[in-house]
Amino acid sequence: MTDILEAPVTDVARAELPSWRLVMRRPGFIVGALILLFWIVCALFGSSFAPHSAYAQQLLATNQPPSAAHWFGTDQLGRDVFSRVLVGARSILLVAPLATLLGTVLGTALGLALGYIGGALDAIVGRLVEAVLAVPAVIVAFLFIVAVGASATTEILVIGFIFTPIIARTVRSAVQVESQLDYLAAARLIGESRRHVMFAEILPNVMPTVLVEFTVRLGYAIFTVATLAFLGFGVNPSTPSWGSDINANYGVIAAGYWWETLFPALAIASLVIAINLVADSIDRVLAG
Amino acid sequence: MTEYKDRLSRLRGGQNEIANHVIDEFVAGRLSRRELLRRGALVGISAPVLGGILAACGSSSPSPSTSKSTSGLSNQTINVGIITPAGAINPITIDDQGGLDMLGQTGEYLTFSDQTLTLQPQLATSWSSNSSADVWTFNIRQGVKFSNGQPLTADDVVYTYQLQTNTKTGGNALSALGGVLEPSGVVKTGDYTVEFHLEAPNGNFPYLTSSDNYNMIILPSGYDPAKWQSSFIGTGPFVMKTYTVNTGATFARNDNYWGPKAKPAATNFTFYASQTPGISALVSGAIDVLGQFTVTGGEELLSGGYNVIKLKSSAHRELSMRCDTAPFTDPRVRQAIALTLNRPAIITALFKGYADLGNDSPFAPVFPSTNTSVAQRVQDIAKAKALLSAAGHPTGFSTQLIGVNLLEIPDYAQIVAQAAKAIGVTINVKVESSSVYYGKATFGDSDWLDATMSLVDYGHRSVPNVFLTAPLQTINAKTGSGAWNAAHFNNSDYDKLSAQYIAAVDLSTQRSLAGQIETLLLNETPIIYAYFYNYLTATASTVTGAYPTAIGHIFVYNCTKS
Repeated sequence: MTDILEAPVTDVARAELPSWRLVMRRPGFIVGALILLFWIVCALFGSSFAPHSAYAQQLLATNQPPSAAHWFGTDQLGRDVFSRVLVGARSILLVAPLATLLGTVLGTALGLALGYIGGALDAIVGRLVEAVLAVPAVIVAFLFIVAVGASATTEILVIGFIFTPIIARTVRSAVQVESQLDYLAAARLIGESRRHVMFAEILPNVMPTVLVEFTVRLGYAIFTVATLAFLGFGVNPSTPSWGSDINANYGVIAAGYWWETLFPALAIASLVIAINLVADSIDRVLAG
Repeated sequence: MTEYKDRLSRLRGGQNEIANHVIDEFVAGRLSRRELLRRGALVGISAPVLGGILAACGSSSPSPSTSKSTSGLSNQTINVGIITPAGAINPITIDDQGGLDMLGQTGEYLTFSDQTLTLQPQLATSWSSNSSADVWTFNIRQGVKFSNGQPLTADDVVYTYQLQTNTKTGGNALSALGGVLEPSGVVKTGDYTVEFHLEAPNGNFPYLTSSDNYNMIILPSGYDPAKWQSSFIGTGPFVMKTYTVNTGATFARNDNYWGPKAKPAATNFTFYASQTPGISALVSGAIDVLGQFTVTGGEELLSGGYNVIKLKSSAHRELSMRCDTAPFTDPRVRQAIALTLNRPAIITALFKGYADLGNDSPFAPVFPSTNTSVAQRVQDIAKAKALLSAAGHPTGFSTQLIGVNLLEIPDYAQIVAQAAKAIGVTINVKVESSSVYYGKATFGDSDWLDATMSLVDYGHRSVPNVFLTAPLQTINAKTGSGAWNAAHFNNSDYDKLSAQYIAAVDLSTQRSLAGQIETLLLNETPIIYAYFYNYLTATASTVTGAYPTAIGHIFVYNCTKS
């Protein structure tokens, strides 16, 4: 009996993270990962291999249709759309993952506390979380950015804080399930501190949930960043950004200049789909 | 020859000194036909007399720009799309295009500034000034009735002008009339005669009574302007039937109108938050007339299939550089930035050619007083680098440009930033919504007025007075001068020249002073004026008779549909 109590509790009850071998066998994951990898490379090195400067204007060659010289045509200032799409990955892939990471860290901590401690804390904070969730995320982000001013840091903080209650609610549910299991009773019995139980015992067991939540939220974050840029909350209009480039050019679609909007839109769609393919693959493997 | 002189002599009879000077300038060849019409109307020479002078000299008058003339049907309902009014339709507070469009449907002005910037009589039948141009007398049209049946008299004009010039009401018209006319200067001298005693001589005063100064529709004496939205009371060719905030308005023909009756039986205005849905509505046939569109986003309408009315205008963008903030304290730095711009290319890129070149002064090509002998500034990177180096910035510097998010302004800001890179200057562009950018529109509480570099929109005016005063004259909180001086430009020579220009009555004096102002501003370059864009209106090909003005009105009383 003593031996049982002294055995490492985490080894007994820890849920397994997805087997990467199983994940790698899924075609959806491979396709998604390849697309994601392509955009990450573009974000890091896009300006090195883009055929033109993403900033260079040719005022006498505006709105040129796709051609051998400009694969995706030129925009209203004569800039090469293909180069701007490649380099435009940088702004979105800088903000979205960091914002998602922030939201995941904070949301997980909050979810652990709400799910494990429960009681009055869960009742009060839980209602606040529900109140926050009742307001559309983009509206909250919109208000914050108007109040604080647009910058990459602001966007990361705002989106991170918006995701915090969403992730917290999911993690809380997972923690409540875990709380019913015997290994936690055992951990309490041997006198582990509340903090230790939450972060050393429960957290490893809800990590699959957190991982899936992270990948799902990353897709939403990309869409939110693009939406904010589309609404005019980008940092600098010269900076290549898919959302702000769509905003700047969608008004000329009717005039026949479809390429200036279509290609940045396809870039956003491809990135979101890629992340969803990855998230879906992980989720399916976890589900068995 | 004797007969010609006799006819001119008869036509001169009854004209005052200033009017005869205008006639002299035309006879001497210093005024063109169009300029005679414009200047003559300004100083109060009636249309028949102007026509007589042109006929005596073997000339004729220009025709207005309306949508193409074809045989259409009257008594139709004309559907019009305009930008959504920004607030309540109140003649005191209106400061936006949608609002002024609504005022102009039922309201009328003492004078009307037409598409050629020529003044036409409207509720005033004639006007004239004393020799020093500081007292102007207007004769009011008789037999006019407001839509509530009340007859128009001098009392209504006095009431309207005293209300609009009262600083306590804080009306938008003070941007033009402030410092020009006090309420006490509006004097009734007869049942149908009003005198305006100005604070200082002003040769262009009649323009301040025109549709250009769009708030100045004549209200019935004692009428509360805050209630105007409920009645749209006025003397115009239409009466309001319905008005729905943020949605639209409908009007019916005013059968008691004093002038030619409107051709449409009714009009239906739909409000759009931006031009894109307005263009879609015109393309789909939901509307017949689109009040205004811009080249950026409006390319479809320029590609054929629609009647496009193109008006030269003085509408422009002002790129201010803070003359009291380093590095722009040195005029060489300001000149260097201006020299980096390839203006013809900017006009091609942003306006497909539908704009005129700016020469870093508010004197637009459309103004007759613009002195065209002053050389046009052109792109010169080598000179710009030399100026920057001489000013102590051989490797350039970094600064920020804040602009308002409106139409082509974000693109223009990016072009400026890209051009400045050629001389090593890094300009970080920040584009803000209008509410953030304008802030409280006072110094210390407005990015528009406080930014190191600021890019703002200015609408059309028929005369450059406002452009010469509010954004360029030295800031003085007591007098209110320089209220929009985002460049914080402070130059006593400029202040004197601009005051002299405003007081000047004859065109040759105005041109001479304009030349001096243009040269001074090129040397100082507190503000870059790169272009003056055309005002564009579109109608369906089946519609004729739409009459826009570059200030933003759209008049459809002559519209027919086939």
